[in-house]
Amino acid sequence: MTSARDWRGLLFVAPFLILYAIILIFPLLRGVWLSLNQVDLFGAGHFIGIANYVRLARDPVFATSLMNTFEVTLMIVPPLTIIALLLAIALNRAGKGAALIRGVFFSSAVLSVTIVTLIWRFMLAPDAGLLGYLAKAVGTAPPPFLSDAQLVLPALAITTIWWSVGFPMLLFLAGLQQIPEDMYEAAALDNASRWTTFRRITVPSLRRTLVLVVMLQTAAQLQLFGQSQLLTAGGPSGASRTAVLFLFETAFGQWQLGYTSAAAEVLFLIILAVTITQYWATGRATAQEAR
Amino acid sequence: MIRAGAALVIALALGSCAPADHKTHLYLQRFFGECGAEYGGSTDISKAEGECGIITTMIARFNAENPDIQVDVNVVAWPGYPQLTAQVAARDPPDLVTMHEGVISDYAAKGLVEPVDGYLRAAGISPNDFTEAARQGVTMYGHIYGLPWDTHGGLFHVNTALFAKAGLMRDGKPVLPNTGQELLQQARQFEQRTGKPYLIQSNVGDPAFAARNLYTYMMALGAPIFPDAKHIRLNTPIGLTVANFFRRINAERLGTQNMDTPAAIAAFINGEGGIYPTGTWMIGSFEQEAETPGRPLYKSYAVFPYPRLWGQHVEFVSGHSWVVPTRKRSPQQREAIARFFKFMAAHNYDWARTGHIPAFKSVLNDPRFKALPHRADIAPLAEIGRPLPAYVQRQNAIEGLVGEEMAAGFTGQKPVRQALADAERRVNTLLSQVD
Amino acid sequence: MQRGRLGIAGWVALAVAALIMVAPLAWTLLLSLKNNAELVGHSEAALHGPYTLQNYGAIFGNSLTLRWLLNSTIVALGQTAGVLILASLAGYGFSRLDFPLRKPLFIFVLVGLAIPSQAVILVQHQLFAWAHLHNSYPGLILPGLVAPFGVFFMTTYMRGIPRELDEAAMLDGASRWTVFWKVILPLTKPAQSTLAVFTFLGAWNDYWWPLISATHSNMYTLTVGLAAAQMNYAQTSGLGYLMAQAVFASIPIFIVYIVFQKQIVRAMAGTAVR
Repeated sequence: MTSARDWRGLLFVAPFLILYAIILIFPLLRGVWLSLNQVDLFGAGHFIGIANYVRLARDPVFATSLMNTFEVTLMIVPPLTIIALLLAIALNRAGKGAALIRGVFFSSAVLSVTIVTLIWRFMLAPDAGLLGYLAKAVGTAPPPFLSDAQLVLPALAITTIWWSVGFPMLLFLAGLQQIPEDMYEAAALDNASRWTTFRRITVPSLRRTLVLVVMLQTAAQLQLFGQSQLLTAGGPSGASRTAVLFLFETAFGQWQLGYTSAAAEVLFLIILAVTITQYWATGRATAQEAR
Repeated sequence: MIRAGAALVIALALGSCAPADHKTHLYLQRFFGECGAEYGGSTDISKAEGECGIITTMIARFNAENPDIQVDVNVVAWPGYPQLTAQVAARDPPDLVTMHEGVISDYAAKGLVEPVDGYLRAAGISPNDFTEAARQGVTMYGHIYGLPWDTHGGLFHVNTALFAKAGLMRDGKPVLPNTGQELLQQARQFEQRTGKPYLIQSNVGDPAFAARNLYTYMMALGAPIFPDAKHIRLNTPIGLTVANFFRRINAERLGTQNMDTPAAIAAFINGEGGIYPTGTWMIGSFEQEAETPGRPLYKSYAVFPYPRLWGQHVEFVSGHSWVVPTRKRSPQQREAIARFFKFMAAHNYDWARTGHIPAFKSVLNDPRFKALPHRADIAPLAEIGRPLPAYVQRQNAIEGLVGEEMAAGFTGQKPVRQALADAERRVNTLLSQVD
Repeated sequence: MQRGRLGIAGWVALAVAALIMVAPLAWTLLLSLKNNAELVGHSEAALHGPYTLQNYGAIFGNSLTLRWLLNSTIVALGQTAGVLILASLAGYGFSRLDFPLRKPLFIFVLVGLAIPSQAVILVQHQLFAWAHLHNSYPGLILPGLVAPFGVFFMTTYMRGIPRELDEAAMLDGASRWTVFWKVILPLTKPAQSTLAVFTFLGAWNDYWWPLISATHSNMYTLTVGLAAAQMNYAQTSGLGYLMAQAVFASIPIFIVYIVFQKQIVRAMAGTAVR
C-alpha cells in the first residue's frame, strides 16, 4: 500500500472500537478508580490512595494465587499447543474418517465448565473415581489428586487440556489449510522427506497460527477460574486457588470491591505484560515475512 | 434477515409483557431446585416429598387459596447470593427471598432488607413462637429481619449395623461418647472390631465441615468466638484444645482421608464407616436407603445431634429464613406478604418433613412431627442449636476462610497453632474492612 | 492437505488419545440414562441397565426449558452475527488499511485480551443497570461483542492474504468497501467458520454474565436455567438428571460444529490462493 494515511480506514474499525471502549475499557478504568477507594459492593466508599495495593503486596493468599496461576499456565500451554498441533496435522485430510475423529476431539470443548469439572472430579477422586478403580486393579493406592497440595495443580492442568484441545486444533487446521498445495507438490518433486517438509514448509507457514494459539492460550489460562472453583474450591488450603478465583471470592464472597479492583488491576497488568511481550517477540519475526 | 429481526422484536416485546390481571403480585426468589415436571400444578402438600416438591406445592397452594394474590416464583441456583447482590445493586430485588440466617446481617446492616416485625404482627405471629435457635438467627440490631423457616446443623449419622459389630450398641441405640477421650477410645475400638474408620469425613472441598466442628466445640467450651463485630478469637487455649482433638482423630486415622462431599456420602451409604457428621439435609436420602432392602444401611440407620464432649451441650447451627428486600411496595403487597408469612408459619410441619428442624415450637410438640422417623432423636437441636452472633457480617466468607485453614490444620498440612493463627488473622483482616 | 500417511505408531497414539477423549463423554451419556436413585453412592451403576429416558423427560417437563433454549439460541446467534460483522470489518481495517493511529489502536485492542472478565463484571453490571439493559436480549448479547479475540483473529488471518489481490482489484477501480466485500471476505471462510464456532460456543456456555444480568427466570439462558433447576446436592441425589442436562445443553453446539466443520473442509477445497 503506497497511499497516504487515509482516515477513512477508521470507519472500518470504529464500530468495534466504540463498543469496546464503552463496555470493556470504561469498566477497566473505573476499576482503577475503585481500587483507590475503600468501598464494598453497596457503600459509597472513601478514598484511601494506594492502601489497597499495599495490602495486596503483603497478602500471602494473593501471592500464592499468583504463583499458582503462573504454574498452572506453564503446565497447560506447552502440552496443549503441541497436542493440538499434532492432532491438526494428523487429521488434516479429507474423508469421513478424519472428519469423525476431528469431531471426537472437538467434542469436549462443547461442554460447560460445570460439567467438565463434574466429570473430572469423578475421574480423579481417589475413592470413587475411575482412577480409583484402575489403581485398585493394579494394586496401588490411587494418587489423591484433589487433596494433595502437590498434585492438585497437575489435576487442574489435565482437566483443562482435555477440555481445551479442540479449539486450538481447529485453529491449526484453519492455518494448515492456508498453505498452498503447490508448496507441497514442489517439495514432493524435490523428494523432500516428511520431516523436512514438516520443518521447512508446515511449521513456518503455521508460525502465525502458532503465535496466535500460544498468545491466546496463555492469556486465557492466566485467567483460569471455573476449574479451580468447582473442582477443588481453590484447595487444599489454597494450593489451587488461582488469581481469578481470588478476585471472585473477594468480590462476591467478601464484598470488598475496592480491594478486588486493586487485585484485578495487578492481574491485568501481569497478563498484559506477558501478552505484549509475546506479541512483540514474535512480531519482529513475522514482520520480516510480511514484506 | 428482516424476518429474523421481526421475530426478535416480537420476542422482546413478549418478554416484557406486564400482567394485566387485578391480582397483587409478589415476586419470590428461592433455591431448592426446580421440579415442575413432577409437581407442577399440584397443590397437595402432604403428598410432596423433598425440599423442591414441598416448597413448590406450598406456594401453589398459597396461590390457590388466595385468588387475589399471585406469587411469581423465580428459582435460582443455590445459594443465589451473586444474583441477589446484583439485583439489589440494580435496585430491582424480589419481594421475598430465601436466605440463610448467617447472611441476613450483611444485608440488614445496610438496610437492604426490611425488618419484618410489622408483617409478623399482622400475621399474628409472635417471636415467642419461634424456637430458641430460630429466634436468635433472625433477631439483630433490635429487630427481626426474617421469618425463620428451619434450623439446620450437623448431625451424627450412624451406621448401627457397624456399631453393633463394634460392640457399641446398647438397648438398640448407638453408644455415643460423653467426653473427648471416650470418643477416641470408642473410635479405636470401632476400628479394631470392624476394620473400618469410625468417622467418615469430607475434608476436601467442604470448608463448612471443618468450621462446623471447630465452632461447635469451641462454643461448648464457652469460647466467645466473636467477642465483637470486628474480631474473631481462635488462637486461644480453647481453640487449641478443640483443634488438637480433631488433629488427633486424623493423625490416628480414626476418620477417612481425602474425601470430598459426594465421596463421603457415597461411602456412608455403602457402609464404609461408622459415623458421618453431616447435616439435617441428608436425613431424607439416608432414610430412603434405610428403607430399601439389600442396601448396607437397611434398617441400620440412626441419627443424633453432635454429642457433648466437653462443657455444655450446644451446637453450631444455621437456618433458612424468608426475608423481604427493601423496595417500594404498595399496601396491598405488604398485606400479601403478611398473609404469606401466616401461611408458611402454619405449614412449618410440612417443611419439617424435609429433615430440617422446624422453626416453630408448636411443630416440635406436634405429634405428627414426633412420629416422623428419627425426629425425636434430633429435635433437641432446636434448643441446643446456636447460630453465630447476629452482629457478625460476612459469615459465609468467614466460614470459608476458617474452614480452609482448619481443614489444613486438622489434616496436618499445617501445624494446628499456625492454622488457628492464620484463620484468625485472615478473618480479622476481612472484618476490619467491613464498615 | 497432508499427503503423508500416519505410521502405525501414529495411529495407535491417535486411537489412545481418542479413547481418553471419548471415555468421559460416554460415561456422561450413560449416567444421563439412569434413574437418579440408583446412582446414589453407586455411580458405577451407569455401566449396566436398566436405562431410562426419564431425566430427559424431566428436562422437558419443566415448562421453561424451551424458553431457555430459545433465549440461549437468540443470544448465541446474535453474538455470533455481531462478532463476525464487527471483527471482519475491524480486521480488514487493521490488516490492510493505513489510517492514523493504526498501530496504537491495534495495541489498544490487544490490551483487552488481558482483562479477566471477573475484573470488570461488577462495573459492567452497574453500567448496564444504569442503561436499563438487564433482563433483555441486548443486555445479554452486547458484552460478548467486545471480546478482542475476534478482531485479533481476523486481523491475523487477513494479514495472510496477499496484498496483490487488493492491488489488482483497486487497479480495476474497486473501492475499499468493494475490495472488502467482494475480494477479501469470501477468502476468509475458514476463519469465519472457526470464529463463528468459537463465539457461539462461548456465548452458549457463558454462565456468570447471564446469571447476574438475566435474573428473571423467563430470561434465563439454558446454562443458568439448568443450574437453577438443580436441587442442592444434585451431584449425589440428582446425578442422572445433571448429566442429562449436560447432554441436552451440548446438542445444539454439536450441530453448529457439524455444520461449520463441513464449511471448513469445503472452503479448503475451494480456496486456491494463487
